[in-house]
Amino acid sequence: MGIIYFFMGFVSAVETSYCCEKTTDGTWCQNAPEAQCADTPFRKSPTSCESIAYCKLGCCYDSQEGTCYENTPERVCGEDGGIWEGNAECDIPACTLGCCLMGDQASFVTQTRCKKLASVYGLEINFRTDIGDEFTCIASATSDVKGACVFEKEYSTTCLFTTKKECATMAGNSSAEFHEGYLCSAEELGTVCGPTEKTTCVEGSDEVFFMDSCGNIANIYDSSKIIDEDKNYWTKIYGKAESCSYGNSNANSESCGNCDYYLGSICKSANVSQRPVYGNNICADLRCSFEGKTYQHGETWCANSKGIAQNLPGSKSFRMVCYNGEVSVEPCAEYRQERCIQSEVNNFKSAACRVNKWQDCAAQTEKEDCENGDKRDCNWLANTPTSGSDVCVPLYAPGFDLGTNSSESNSICTLATTTCTITWEKDIAGSKKRVGDFNCGTLAWNNSMKTMCNSLGDCGVKTNYLGVKGFNDWMVNYQENPKIEE
Amino acid sequence: MKEIEMKKKGQVTMFVIFAIIIVVFAVLIAYFYPQIRFTLGGQAVNPSSYLQSCIEEDLNLAIEKVALQGGSLDPEHYLLYENEKIAYLCYTNEYYKTCVMQQPLLKKHTETEISKAISTRADECFSELEKAYQRSGYEVNIVRGKSNIELLPKRINLDFNSTITIQKGDSQRYTNIKVSVVNNLYELVSIATNILGFETSYGDSETTIYMNYYRDLKVEKIKQSEGSKIYILTDRNSKNKFQFATRSLAWPPGI
Repeated sequence: MGIIYFFMGFVSAVETSYCCEKTTDGTWCQNAPEAQCADTPFRKSPTSCESIAYCKLGCCYDSQEGTCYENTPERVCGEDGGIWEGNAECDIPACTLGCCLMGDQASFVTQTRCKKLASVYGLEINFRTDIGDEFTCIASATSDVKGACVFEKEYSTTCLFTTKKECATMAGNSSAEFHEGYLCSAEELGTVCGPTEKTTCVEGSDEVFFMDSCGNIANIYDSSKIIDEDKNYWTKIYGKAESCSYGNSNANSESCGNCDYYLGSICKSANVSQRPVYGNNICADLRCSFEGKTYQHGETWCANSKGIAQNLPGSKSFRMVCYNGEVSVEPCAEYRQERCIQSEVNNFKSAACRVNKWQDCAAQTEKEDCENGDKRDCNWLANTPTSGSDVCVPLYAPGFDLGTNSSESNSICTLATTTCTITWEKDIAGSKKRVGDFNCGTLAWNNSMKTMCNSLGDCGVKTNYLGVKGFNDWMVNYQENPKIEE
Repeated sequence: MKEIEMKKKGQVTMFVIFAIIIVVFAVLIAYFYPQIRFTLGGQAVNPSSYLQSCIEEDLNLAIEKVALQGGSLDPEHYLLYENEKIAYLCYTNEYYKTCVMQQPLLKKHTETEISKAISTRADECFSELEKAYQRSGYEVNIVRGKSNIELLPKRINLDFNSTITIQKGDSQRYTNIKVSVVNNLYELVSIATNILGFETSYGDSETTIYMNYYRDLKVEKIKQSEGSKIYILTDRNSKNKFQFATRSLAWPPGI
């Protein structure tokens, strides 16, 4: 039981004497020692910030932008002109979200934000309060009907590929005629715009598009549909699903520009080594190469420093992230407070840094509770030499900050310190015989102690993750048959 | 023969003199560029275009500095990372707790900080503009207002809120004097605000959500030993960056 209380005591060891409205280092509303509180005009009280009015957390509402910020103290909100309400979760009417439909875009925001976005992007909006979640909101975004807008310009019939609405509002073109679903290159429209071999990338789209001679975009690039090969392809709009190699990434394809960001490709300028049959744009491959392996775009996976399996001091987990052909490294928390976990579905890896749940191991008295992986990361050690009973210890020993908390770490490691006495008995004939605890001091006993010691944290004899030896050596003082003193 | 040689020497000297004159002219143009441009064509230059060339470089530098420091010109509470003072926008000094928002109206704050950073240069540019008009024989009257930075999609506008009246015979009055630079800070600050929402509510955020949605965005999250996190948001095309620090739901070392 002593061990349990000892562990629990450390878990909640935070010095929280005063609530400082502002600290000397410039942070707002922190529980800290009085010396760290800023002087007047800032307030301080010998209590926790949770229970003091001036640091009550609420919702900060930006009436200009229509955005809401949770967990904000009143004074912080007022500094930049926000409106504060005493509801930390922002469950207030001004922060109620709805679906803001703007052109072919949708955003799940407040009504004020929706209006702001409309003014910033110059779009008409439709704010729908009946849509209550982001997924439905985004799914309900519909693109405007597109087609060929044919009009007269400088005594010739020209064309603009645009939406019906834009065609109707084209200034100075009362004769503009909209042909829904048609491309400007359609022969039957009789415009000056015709097919070309040029291609382009379009902002907001993944695919490579053909261009007509007037600079309008046409259908998705497909080398087999060039100019006169397929007149229909230059007449009507073909959807993504009707275009070449749909459902594939088409990365580095010379002939098909049906790129898909989620499948690992996007339209980019072609380089010297990868050229398309026509044009200068290609579906760039977004996969990553890392240490001789290829990873899919969007894949995340775990990488560990040396010694993570043995929980060596300094060892650490990392999450690697592959996006846009670039690998970035996200370290998990130091001191093995997080571990990287990884799963794989259809050869696609997903990883995350997950908290190492060792904190309540010592409080577990039942093996079943100790090894309940949903609740904690612990390991059941049976019949330990220190207590002679079973003990629940961390499965992944947490690391210590040996620089600043060395006294605490010493205290913790001391938990695995024990003394046992070996008794020898001399009979009348003078021969010696060991009696009492036969386990004490044996190699098995020693190894059991070592496991227990190492499980508590950065205790016992260890090398660090770089292989540098600690100052103890387990076997130096160990003797299977210790010398007997008379 | 000697006469021909003399003529040749004379020609060489002339070429050298011409070359020197051209070089001197080039140096003068480079040095007094705005002023010389000012009077080219005999037309008074629009003050917005003069101010654009005068302040653009400093404005871009100010934007970069503020963006790399979490939206502050001189952060009060920051984390030093690769020689940059990165402001904490959400912070708790305790373990096991989600952070307290430190900079709720981030866009507005960033705009104010950029305004502060270029205010001196803006004054200098107006002063130079006034002198340049006067050198060209204009009578100038400048009414200065408070400069205002606005972050907008893909651009940043600097509105001087000033009125300039110049007179040389006819009088010309310029209002709505603005400078604009191409920058993605609006988008990056919006994403930072969203990340801060996750940090205050859940103590962490998932970086891949943003990279799935925004094709050109790179989000890096770097955890520090004492529980702080640095977020680096980068536009892959423009290379514009916004970085900030948080400390939320930190776990203590050891037991």
